[in-house]
This record gives sequence, structure tokens and C-alpha cells, in this order.
Amino acid sequence: MDEFGKSDLQLHLDAHTPFLPIVTRFVETTASLFDLGKGDALKLVLATEEIFLHLCSTVCPGGPLVVSCRDGLYYTRVVFHFSAPTLHLKGLNIASADEGGCDLEEMGLMIASRSVDELHLSVEMGNRVRLAVTKHKAYPKVSEEFPRPEAPQRTVSETADQEQVKRFSLMASLFCRQQDLPPFFDYPGRVADMVASGEYGCMIGLDQNRQIVGGVLFRQRSERIVQFFGPYVFHGGDIMATAEALLEDLLAKIARTKALGLLSLSGLPKALEHRFESLGSLSSRIGELPSVRKPFFFRHLHEDPGGEVWSTEALKAWLCAQYDRLVLAREIRTVRDMGERRSGASLFAAEISREKAEACLRPLLPGDDLAANVKAHVRYLSKDGLLTLLFEIDLGLPWHAELTEVLLAEGFQPKILLPFAGRSDLVIFQHHDATEP
Amino acid sequence: MMRPNLDSLVPAYVREFEPYIPSKPDPELMKLYGCTRLFRLNNNENPLGPPPAAQEVIRRFPPPQGAVYPSGDSYYLREAIGAVHGVDPDHILVGNGANEVITFVIKAFCERGDNIVTADKTFAVYEWVAVFSGIKARVIPLKDEGFDDAAMLAAVDGNTKILFVCNPNNPTGSYWSRERLTAFLDAVGGKRIVVLDEAYFEFVEKEDFPNGISLLSDYPNLVVFRTFSKMYGLAALRIGYLVGDPGVVDMIRRTCVVYSVNRIAQEAALAALGDDTGHIRRTRDLIRQSRAYLCEELLKKGLPVIAGEGNYLIVKLPISDTLAYRKLMREGIMIRPMTGFRYPNHIRITLAGQEAMEAFVVALTKILA
Repeated sequence: MDEFGKSDLQLHLDAHTPFLPIVTRFVETTASLFDLGKGDALKLVLATEEIFLHLCSTVCPGGPLVVSCRDGLYYTRVVFHFSAPTLHLKGLNIASADEGGCDLEEMGLMIASRSVDELHLSVEMGNRVRLAVTKHKAYPKVSEEFPRPEAPQRTVSETADQEQVKRFSLMASLFCRQQDLPPFFDYPGRVADMVASGEYGCMIGLDQNRQIVGGVLFRQRSERIVQFFGPYVFHGGDIMATAEALLEDLLAKIARTKALGLLSLSGLPKALEHRFESLGSLSSRIGELPSVRKPFFFRHLHEDPGGEVWSTEALKAWLCAQYDRLVLAREIRTVRDMGERRSGASLFAAEISREKAEACLRPLLPGDDLAANVKAHVRYLSKDGLLTLLFEIDLGLPWHAELTEVLLAEGFQPKILLPFAGRSDLVIFQHHDATEP
Repeated sequence: MMRPNLDSLVPAYVREFEPYIPSKPDPELMKLYGCTRLFRLNNNENPLGPPPAAQEVIRRFPPPQGAVYPSGDSYYLREAIGAVHGVDPDHILVGNGANEVITFVIKAFCERGDNIVTADKTFAVYEWVAVFSGIKARVIPLKDEGFDDAAMLAAVDGNTKILFVCNPNNPTGSYWSRERLTAFLDAVGGKRIVVLDEAYFEFVEKEDFPNGISLLSDYPNLVVFRTFSKMYGLAALRIGYLVGDPGVVDMIRRTCVVYSVNRIAQEAALAALGDDTGHIRRTRDLIRQSRAYLCEELLKKGLPVIAGEGNYLIVKLPISDTLAYRKLMREGIMIRPMTGFRYPNHIRITLAGQEAMEAFVVALTKILA
């Protein structure tokens, strides 16, 4: 158990089909131990079963495997760690069954992704693979009525304790526009557990009587980027003063950490927008609801050291415009296909969020089948009801840049340039058909 | 060959520490930002350079002597520093810049479980060295842009080994008077080490500003830092020193890396101390004029300025400081964004010659338009 009360249990075994009952029983037992509801636990077991069988048959048959079950307080996560020959890794493409003409029902990873809230894949040195499926815990939806706080004479901010986090969450749901709030604010218990897990932080603004008048929630989105929600201000007085105080304290808190940038995806109070740089927006749609635009606001925390990025001619003009607008010093180096030999099968990680009906693809291995692989992913993810399709490339890696022409041809458009979010800057492409009704 | 398991080899406090990435060299930055000239207003360097005598030493250094080790403990330089301050040379330790002597002191006095106390908005290296050495840094918010003595004292506990005070403070320029400093030292009461960082000592002209070295006889727990990087313009050579009680210095000496200060630095610093051409007066005159000019220009723009002692000031901008850094770089002006000092939306500007100050004002006007 770690300092935040999160536990990890591990099972070491080989990828042999007869071990399936051991694996499913392990996940079922630990999920129950970690307080995941019975229905959700069964869904996690189903995902585990599909993945384990897929690994045994296609990816690393007979190879050593570590299955770990993590209690993240607000979720339970099953992680598979294993190594596999490059040749077999293509089987981890969520759309891999397309090659054999299988239909959607035969695709183990796709089925697994349907019964969980998140699926995440990464490949480290030596083809060491980490494949994770996550099921969020169910929390009661809670709302309460409070009088709107009066304008404070002064605001001081401090790190919220558990009860303050819950009250902050309730107040945000009550006093802020729903479109400015992530859905989890309807579940104060979940927000409290998110903070208790250490994965999120929460700072609240207090008036002279120590009443909560605002707050901000934040998390480490990646090693270099801190994402924040808010600042939310609940009183009707000088919103700017409270929002600015919360933002400045948040900046002071993370200024000397690993973070290079601060990112908002949930909108900012108008008064604070000039403190940030607008990176553009993505549109998203859930079910039959109209699509909404998700603005990205960014702020560097340090001097921009400048650097080199890789691009193709097709993306260069867009990149130049973005770098000029954002005043980022970059030397753009162009990659070109000169007929050199390419081989192998590419691998994309598909990070799927069912809650947001969104899939974000990330290239993990290059290959000679990039176009076909992108096409297959778009077809299958769209068919599976994922309305927002994103593709993230890292401009620090030349072979990622080579994907741009394929992406453009398949209907993706570059939307967001995210500085320092990968080895270098990231570009997020969005599939333009996916969000249109 | 198998790669080392860094998770088990490296202590967590090192793994989790973010390495400081210095700026690229000027020519690289100029190429990246497309500027044809660059005014360096980011590191509080002296625009007049080293005193003439030090410049002469650098110019005349015999190349064959590059093969010979320097004095391992800066013997002649310590004698000269001792003579200037009226202290025994053995009470002095010279390091490869003040950053190195900060490391010496923390290594000498702190072990796991200990803590240091300093301010939140001050020179970052005290906090950095503590954190990557596994020592807790208690950073106390400034009060009225200055070190908060009462809050620092309140933060002291049984595990506190060192209190760091930057006087005058970088970046606010605030300072403790002699009276306030001695009251603080009395309150600490000799149970802990107090480090007084006087990197900008020579810039201060205020009558009530204390000379920490003169207090050493009354406060043997006091350690004073000075540097040749600022007033003496020897930043490129990396040389600074500490002065303290012989017993304290003897302990710190055990953590010193000898031979870390090169010979040109030692000889140039020696010459700088002996310079009689009015280098300090000329620098002070320039800084005084520069401060007055820049304050007036910034106040005309309605920008809040924090300007105290030292060869710098900070100003609050209506845009992000890191964006301002990039925009100013395009105009050939390099300043220090202050988010890393926990002053978001502020930039620090080194006070320099009139041409640089005017260029800065023109560029700032342009980027804020």
C-alpha cells in the first residue's frame, strides 16, 4: 500500500489458456476487495478474460506475464505486463482482427474496451508492454442547496481537506455552468477519492470567515503537463480577484516541479484568458447531444529553450503558423519518403474513454502498413460508437511525422499543438467526420 | 548488456527532482528566435564586466599554465579576502561559485530527516540543493516582498539545521536592516546555522544595510556568502566564498571539493579585490540611473514594479511572463520570467546600460501593444 492508501496485488504466471480461471478469479477477488461494485467487477473480469485469451493465442503465447490489480481508490485497474516479439505486437492493435476479415465481435481488445472505462497501451524498451484496463467505481450523484457566498473581503487559498473537497464539488455543481464542469463534479465522493488518491490536487479559496468561495482542481496529465479544472468562483463579487489568487497559488505550487506547462481543457473564467495562450479547440459529442467545443488553454512555466521538430511538407505550413502565433522557437526539419524500404506491422495504442465516447490513438511502432492501420482503426472505432477520434503524434520522432500525410488523407485535421507534451511538442489531429451528427 | 534498474539504484528524492535545464548558448537562441542582437537582462550580470585589473589578469594568463593545477584551497585569494574583511584566511572557504558553497553547507550540516528554512520567493538554489539531497525545504511566504522573520522562526523545529536568508533578496531587492538581522540571530540563539547570502552586498548603498561579516564575532552560528559573479563581473569564471566561525568553517571544509576553483578565477578575483579604479562606484552609478529610468518608464505604463536593492527589478505584466519571455526574445531582449520564483506574470530585468534599457522599453511597448 502506498502513502495514499492505494494497493497493488500481482499475479505472476505464463500466458497459457488453462490459467484463465486463475486470472479471472484473481481479478474478481481483488476487485471485490477494492470495493468495486459487483456489476462493475464482472465487467472488469470480462475485459481481463478477453485480453488474457488474446495474449495467450496471439501476442505472447506461453510467455511470462504479470497481471496486477490496482486499487486507485476511485477506480480499479488491471494491468498486464509482458514482452513479445515485434512480429506479434501488431496483435495489440485494437483493430488487428481487420486483417483476417473478422467482425467486431471477434476482436478481443475491442470487446475488452467496451466493458471498461479506459484502455491504455504503452510499449517500453525491449518490447516491454503495459496494457491496462480501468473500471471506475460507481458513486452516488449528490446535490445540495447552499446560499451563494457573499463577496469576500479577501481570499486566501489552501490545500483542501476531504470534507472541503466534497463541499467544493457540491458548490461547483450548484453555482457553475454545467458546460464548464467535468461530469465527475456531480459525484463529490468521487472527487474526494480522486484527491485522496494523490492523482489530483485541490486548492480552495476561503474568505475571512473561512467559508469556501472558490477552488481549483488539478492533476498531472503527463510527466510534463499539469491539467487544471477551474478556477471556479462561487460568489458574485470580484470574480477576477478570487480566480487570480487561486491561479497564482496553483502556479506557485507547481512552479518548481517537473511540470513544464499548465493546461486547461474545461474553459477559463474570461478574466483569466489573457494569462494563457489559446491552443485552439477540439469538438466532442456524446450520444445525440450536439457537439461542444473544448478549448485548450496553455501556459508555459519556464523559459522556452527552443528546439527541433520533425514534420512533412504537408504539415509544415500549419506548424509554422502555430509556432508563429504562439511565439515558440522551433527549427522545423522535414522528413520525406525517398523510397527507402519499410517493413513490419505498425502498432497504435488506442486510449478509449467510454464516458466521453472518445478514442485517442498514439503510434507506438512504425511499419509498412500505416495507411491501412489508420483506416482500420477509424472504421472500427467509429463503428463501435466512439464519436470523437483523435490521433496524437510526437514531433520529436521523425517516423511520427511521416504519419501526417496518411492522417490527412484519412480525414484527420491538425487541431492542437501542445508544447512539450511528448519528447517534443505534440500535435493532436481530430477526425473531422466523427463529431458531425 | 542489461540496463541498470534506475528505480532501485537512484533515491526517490533524486528521481523525482526536475533537473535544471540552462538556456542554450546565445548564438543558438539568436538563431532560434531570429534576432540579430541580444541584450542579456536575465542573469543580473554586470554590464561593465570585471574591473580593469581583473580583465588584465584574464588577458595575460599564460597559456602553458593551463597544464598546472590551481591552488587547491585558493590560498592567496583567501589571504586577500581575509585582509579586506579583517578575518583570518582560515575562516574563509572559496568555491566554484556561490552555488557550490551552498552545497558544501547543506552537506556539512544536514542528513535525512532534517530540514532547512527559507523563503518561497527567493534564490531557488537553497531549496533545490536541499530537495535533491533528500532534505526537506520549508519555504515561508514573503511578507511585504521581504523575508518574514517571525514566520521563519515559527517554522523552526527540532530537525531544522539551517536558515537561509538572502539579503538583499533576489528577486525583490528587499533587505533586513542590521537591527532586524541581529534580532533574528538573537532569536535563533545559536542552536542552528544561519546562512546570510550577500551575493548583491556591494550594490547596496543604504546606511542601515548590515555587513554580515562584521557580525561573525558575535554570532558564531552565522555563515556569510559572497560572490564575484555580480559586482565583480566574473560570472563566467564561477567563483564565490563563505566566511564563518573557525569551528563551523572547519566542519564545512570536510565537504569541500578541493581544486574546484580554477586558477584564472582565483587570480582574477584577487585582482578584482585590489582594483582601485572606482569599478564599484561606476557600477553603482550606472545601476542607480538605470533603476530610476526603468521605474519611471514602467510606472508610465501603469505596470506594478518591485524595485529594491541589487542590480535588478521585477515588474508585473498583464500577460504570462513566459510568453513575454518568448516575445521579448524575438526582439533581442532576454529577461528572466518569474514563475519559477513563484512570481507568476512577473519578469525580472537586470539593470544595465542606457542602450539596453531603452531597447527593453521599446520591445516591451511593442509586445504589450
